[in-house]
Amino acid sequence: MPIECRNINYKYSGAQNPVFNNLSCRIGEPGFHALFGQSGVGKSTFARMIAGQLNGFFGEIEIREPKKIFYSYNLERLPGWSGVGEHIEKVTPEANKSRINEIVDSFGLSACMDSGFSRLSLGQQNRVNLARYLLQDFDLLIMDESLANVDEATREQIIFKIKEMFPEKSFLYISHSVAEVSRFCRDILVLRNFLKIPQAFMVHGQDDVREKQVVKKDLEETMLEIVNAS
Amino acid sequence: MNIKNNVTVALFMLIMLFPAFSGCGKKHEEVTKVSYRLKWLFNASVAGDIYADANGYFKKEGLEVEVKEGGPERDAIKELEMGHAQFGVASADQVIRAVSKGSPVVVLAQLFQANPLQWIYRPDENKIERPEDMKGKVVGITFGGNDETIMRALLAKYGIKENEVNFFSVRYDYTPFYERKVALWPVYRNAQGIIIGDKLKKAGESAAFFDPDTSGIRFVANSVITTEIMIKEHPETVKKFISALLKAWNEALKPDNSDKTVETIQKFDKDTSPDVIRRQLDITRQFMKPSEKTVFGAIDVAAWKQTESIMLEQKLIPAPVDIEKRLKMEYNRQ
Amino acid sequence: MLHKRLYQFVLVYFIGLAFLFTVKEVFNLSDYVIPGLPDIYGTVRRVFTRYLLDVLNTLSVAIVGHILSIALATVVGIIGRLSNWMGSLIRTAAFNVQAYPIVAVAPMIFILLGDGLSSRLLIAAMICYFPLLLSFIGILSEPVTDIEHFYVHSGRMRWQLEVKIRAFENMNKLITVVAGSATLAMVGTIVSEFIGASAGIGYSIRIALYQSDLSKILVALFLIGIFTSLYLAVLELLGNIVSRSWGEKEA
Repeated sequence: MPIECRNINYKYSGAQNPVFNNLSCRIGEPGFHALFGQSGVGKSTFARMIAGQLNGFFGEIEIREPKKIFYSYNLERLPGWSGVGEHIEKVTPEANKSRINEIVDSFGLSACMDSGFSRLSLGQQNRVNLARYLLQDFDLLIMDESLANVDEATREQIIFKIKEMFPEKSFLYISHSVAEVSRFCRDILVLRNFLKIPQAFMVHGQDDVREKQVVKKDLEETMLEIVNAS
Repeated sequence: MNIKNNVTVALFMLIMLFPAFSGCGKKHEEVTKVSYRLKWLFNASVAGDIYADANGYFKKEGLEVEVKEGGPERDAIKELEMGHAQFGVASADQVIRAVSKGSPVVVLAQLFQANPLQWIYRPDENKIERPEDMKGKVVGITFGGNDETIMRALLAKYGIKENEVNFFSVRYDYTPFYERKVALWPVYRNAQGIIIGDKLKKAGESAAFFDPDTSGIRFVANSVITTEIMIKEHPETVKKFISALLKAWNEALKPDNSDKTVETIQKFDKDTSPDVIRRQLDITRQFMKPSEKTVFGAIDVAAWKQTESIMLEQKLIPAPVDIEKRLKMEYNRQ
Repeated sequence: MLHKRLYQFVLVYFIGLAFLFTVKEVFNLSDYVIPGLPDIYGTVRRVFTRYLLDVLNTLSVAIVGHILSIALATVVGIIGRLSNWMGSLIRTAAFNVQAYPIVAVAPMIFILLGDGLSSRLLIAAMICYFPLLLSFIGILSEPVTDIEHFYVHSGRMRWQLEVKIRAFENMNKLITVVAGSATLAMVGTIVSEFIGASAGIGYSIRIALYQSDLSKILVALFLIGIFTSLYLAVLELLGNIVSRSWGEKEA
């Protein structure tokens, strides 16, 4: 399900400089990809454009069918009136209900199911939020810092699990960790300052999966490439 | 709280209160600036009061008088005690109630010789010639008002039990009377009496008035008041004030002066037409100075005593107040 | 909470009374202007039971009026939160209606509806409805993006759910506003009784004013204060129970 972005121009109202200046790129192939860039470079803005939540830009975003795109971010909350388990059960489409336990267990959330959302730690909250998105019928899931506040080992387990469970789906992972995106992601779209041409630069990552050993040198090369690009 | 704190609090309260009571207890040899609080809004029934002010009667006596409009929430007696006014107009029941509660109020002149409070009715539909004719009728009264007191006194005098008439609680809205839900409606004969009578006439109906006075209920209405302290400390001011006021009233009520009086009232009461004001003034004259011989402002001691005994009977005051001691006859002999 | 409210009210009341007595003593005023203790005591003995029943009568009307205005404000708030022409029309109408002073509108209400219960109810509801409406529109039109985002983008958002999320997230605000407007409901009922009704403590106050009887007013104020405090305390208690049972899963 490739998404073709051509000559995107966008400026926030009242801002002096544009966020995007003739941005062109292609994303959305199946696999676990990343969107990387320095703070303020427009990662979340770009993600919301793709998800159809932000209009008013110039240029073209062409999404070929099917195109169920979800955008999740790390500050989302569940409503306070129901428990986590109850909520997840309620918002999961019938066909995906068989997957609830698998995801909940592998995300280390079994103990949280009877709790209220606000009683959970920030890391647990983010995992719960990601879990409910994974249980939706999506083609592309944008994960905007969805694993913030989650420890490294758990993060690794979760990413591996996602890759195993959804090999046909597309993910766009937004993270600030160069090492993380270099290791786990297949394609890394590096967004750069609007003055740089081209504004988006694609780097190939190591696309690590369980029981595969990433060569340290390759990983370092990817990291260097990303740092240089951004 | 220790004594020092108590003193601080007391001092603080006094300082806070000082502006509100700045008129209290000031000892002047001669007061030239005084306030005069009326009982009701400016209309024909305060003709002489505004006439005195507008035509310089107070000035001639060397007084600067601020004539202040009254209203439903105004109480001249309270203002006298608080020092916000030095003279005022109050109804007899107010005066008697205040005396019963230890107020130093005194009466200088009685404005109305007969109470203008009467009940309007449709003579074509109800014949009310004697109090007994009210039996079985719906009679409007303002609960707590002096029309209630007068009506109850009337019923008691004629041995009519209260369950033999149906009382209706009256407010500012006359609709129940127009809709015939109520047969008798209390009005001031010289004010609303004329306006409502006109409305009935327009609708092709006739209007008549039932006057408790003719059935022997003498309940004194408005009088000019001040305080004993004022008479004691500023006797000359009181004399000058009342002399100017009575002169003005006498002039204002002279039939020959009607045009001038109506014109004066019109300046203050812009909502009423000169024609209505003239008729209000004519009726007011009948209550205040029914004949050439009537001394304007004369205090009818017997009527005051009857008013007191009515209030006593209806337990509106707990004990006799000897109201005659508060009636200052010397100011109204002309 | 209950005893705290009552305690606070009684304290304020007696401070006020002490203030009046101080004024009376300092300026040597008669009982006609400010009644003395024996006068007040005598009045309490004479009118306490009657006034108690009057206040209960007023309170019951105030409670019904309060419930009515909460219901009305909820409905108008839900419609008024919409950003289309209908929401804007409702908001404008609601604001305009409130701009008329109630003392000017009340006589018309009494002429149309008579001096019975319905007029008192309507006026009480009108007086406490506006602050409720303002808060309700404010709360219900303010998105809780962090919660609503998921529902909106998974296509699950319904207006009932939206209202539920916003109300739940602002529960404490809502409870404060509802409890606060209870005082206004009580004031509204008393004002309506004072202006035109033939029952309730407002009507009794009017009669007492005709008779220049401040003792009666003081007794009425005491009872009004006590029962308003009681009603407020009960509302706060209910609010606590609601937010506790709704928020059980919350922190």
